[in-house]
Amino acid sequence: MVQTILSGLICGILLGFVLQRGRFCITGAFRDLYLTRENRMFVAFLLAISVQSVGIFLLSAAGVIQLTNVPFAWLGAIVGGFVFGVGMVCAGGCATGTWYRAGEGLIGSWVALFAYMASSAMMKHGSLQPLNQFFGQYKVEQGAIYETFGLSPWLLILLLAGVTGYLVWRHLKQPAVRIPSLPPRRKGLAHLLFEKRWHPFVTAVLVGLIATLAWPLSEATGRMFGLGITTPSANLLGYLVTGETKMLDWGVFLVLGILVGSFIAAKGSREFRWRVPSASTMVTSFIGGLLMGFGASIAGGCTIGNGLVNTALLAWQGWVAMPFMLAGSWVATYFLMVRPRQRSRQAAVEAVQGA
Amino acid sequence: MKRVHLEVIGQVCPFPLVEAEQAMKQLEPDDELVIDFDCTQATDSLPHWAVKNGHEVTLFEQTGDAQWRIAIRKGRA
Repeated sequence: MVQTILSGLICGILLGFVLQRGRFCITGAFRDLYLTRENRMFVAFLLAISVQSVGIFLLSAAGVIQLTNVPFAWLGAIVGGFVFGVGMVCAGGCATGTWYRAGEGLIGSWVALFAYMASSAMMKHGSLQPLNQFFGQYKVEQGAIYETFGLSPWLLILLLAGVTGYLVWRHLKQPAVRIPSLPPRRKGLAHLLFEKRWHPFVTAVLVGLIATLAWPLSEATGRMFGLGITTPSANLLGYLVTGETKMLDWGVFLVLGILVGSFIAAKGSREFRWRVPSASTMVTSFIGGLLMGFGASIAGGCTIGNGLVNTALLAWQGWVAMPFMLAGSWVATYFLMVRPRQRSRQAAVEAVQGA
Repeated sequence: MKRVHLEVIGQVCPFPLVEAEQAMKQLEPDDELVIDFDCTQATDSLPHWAVKNGHEVTLFEQTGDAQWRIAIRKGRA
């Protein structure tokens, strides 16, 4: 148990720290493809997947870890992915993003977090289990893309790494534009860890490495998977309200670690402050959390569990859920950000014409 | 040369950027938009947006724990 607690916490702290300092936000990555027409963060996300994919298949080949077969629950991937995408934009961050923003003191994220924990616990352990089971019926047992086509996984990894490598190279090739940053006040390691702006591709590689490390650490405690956020969040709340210690697994300490790691990073860089958003943002965050818990439960994972790990595993579940999460996030972005902007522009035009 | 103040303290990502874009549209070249914000992501997204759109960052400082001020002069492009 001690090993479970310590290794989960340490992995989580590393991840939370890296996510906060690196501003690694998958919601932003998905949203910006549409809102600002930028793909840099999305390429970073693909880079993290690629690093993990190479890492875990190497570890598996070396016999260090055992890769899980993820059954392809296709209806859940489609519906759950879409609902999760909507939820994460409403919540201002995906499941992981909400955990690390909570560590920065954002009360809106605490609200989203509790809603997310509650709805995922309802789906996995409680009153909404029948709904979860309904979606779970529609699945195909054999879930690996390479098995479906009778290929070696390395062929797919090569394809993934190749496309990602090309996109990364295209970005790095662009002439370096100096983006103004804050005047530095620290030196050396303190500056590097708590002040310097981290390049998203560096952060992505770190995330991929931590995601790879998660596998042997977790498997040593009997939990045969890598990073996961949804089930651990449901388990945490489940344990708190039922007292069943068997719910406390490696994943639970991982998510707690993310909160702690992000707090350490934020505090160290003077980015921690309790911040209360407007009432409407609180309500939207709450709804977002509920949708995320519901969506991630039937999709079999959030943007990390599905978007980062199942994709690295080359499972259909991840690669089908991810585009639907993308679609959901774009729909929510339209209604929450684009349409109000068009409306206020229209109102301004009308005001001028009326004057 | 006008100076417009935009306060988006308490607004979460991505609204500081969205509001900044809206506000900038109302300005003439060489006018300055001064933004007070407390969203961490905006410390990257605001200067990035400014440079990408041909504006100049004339001031950028941390004014407290998780609180910043940036001044952006509208470019002539």
